[in-house]
Amino acid sequence: MDPVIAEGLRVSGLSYALIFVVLGIFYGLVKLLLRILPRRDDSA
Amino acid sequence: MTELLRGIVGMADWRVWAMFGVGLALIWLAVKKEYEPNLLLPMGFGCLLANIPFSSAVGGGFLDVLFKGGITNELFPILIFIGVGAMIDFGPLLQDPEMLFFGAAAQFGIFFTMMLALLVGRIPGVMGIPGLREAAAIGIIGAADGPTSIYVATRFAPGLLAPITVAAYSYMSLVPIIQPPVIRALTTREERMIHMENPEREVSKTVKVIFPIAVTLIAGIIAPMSVALIGSLMFGNLLRESGVTERLSKTAQNELSSLVTILLGIAIGSSMGGKQFLNPTTLLIIAMGFIAFVFDTAGGVLFAKLINLFRKRKINPMIGACGISAFPMSARVIQKMAQQEDGGNFIIMHAVGANVAGQIASIIAGGLILALVR
Repeated sequence: MDPVIAEGLRVSGLSYALIFVVLGIFYGLVKLLLRILPRRDDSA
Repeated sequence: MTELLRGIVGMADWRVWAMFGVGLALIWLAVKKEYEPNLLLPMGFGCLLANIPFSSAVGGGFLDVLFKGGITNELFPILIFIGVGAMIDFGPLLQDPEMLFFGAAAQFGIFFTMMLALLVGRIPGVMGIPGLREAAAIGIIGAADGPTSIYVATRFAPGLLAPITVAAYSYMSLVPIIQPPVIRALTTREERMIHMENPEREVSKTVKVIFPIAVTLIAGIIAPMSVALIGSLMFGNLLRESGVTERLSKTAQNELSSLVTILLGIAIGSSMGGKQFLNPTTLLIIAMGFIAFVFDTAGGVLFAKLINLFRKRKINPMIGACGISAFPMSARVIQKMAQQEDGGNFIIMHAVGANVAGQIASIIAGGLILALVR
């Protein structure tokens, strides 16, 4: 396989997977924040 | 006398006329069709200014100064992001954080198009063989996010900046035309009629303040190349959500955004010189931009359908299409489609959540590409 194509596949696959990983971390973060800081915290 | 005549003599070049046509077409699209007028109108006029033979606006003129001072050093896209961040309400996403994954899924078009550009570039005589950097710059049109496209293209393929920008903004304005047929082709009527309960969860102000800070830190640590993009977006959002910088938030949303959009548009238009713009590569980039948007939409919809295989309470798969960044156009399109199928179906909150997730995901995609492509 053309080495540039192979590198393209590697970068594309890795980037696409990492987007899910990063947004998955954000998902966990938001879930955590919603649990520890429910709506009532800013009644002030 | 020679000085006066050289402009007229310069008009003998067919490319001047062709670029006048391109500039006027952009202005027409902005004025008559209202397609992204805030950007296409300055771009169209910048194109005219740059292509008048021996124009004093380029070749060391004010447009060159703007280009070097705002595009080459990536300042303008970053400033735009501060304004965008100040305009975005992440509330619907925070109420329903699952929508984040649709933002991720709908970046598929970036990588599909990147590979397509690499493959097409290897067909003899079709276009100059693009390396990975050029292919990535073309693929990033699929981020459906103008500033990210400009930022990546400036770094990886400055010579392709103008067609990439034209494609990105044109297709963003054409989302209402591009997305519906793709969605209809991939979903059944029953799927499009799925109702989704609005999340009743309230989000506290503290969460809204912590979110932009935490996202910046996490994204920055994982992909330092994304700090400028995600940091400016989240800084704008922090101005909005902090509640104590209303004046700054309003300025970022209005004056800053408007001013930079004028300068960004006219500066990019100035890069549309006939010699650089009029070639087969431009046409291919325009075509690939379309493909990127189609596969973004398909990626989001198919991901939603995949998730539905494992869920009891089904998601309306049209929501997946909102993971494309084009905000808020895509969310509006999907809500309209939902109501066309069933007048009582309101999925706008989920659609907006997925749409702002797409905004974040597209920036992360840009940062990762900048980090991984050599």
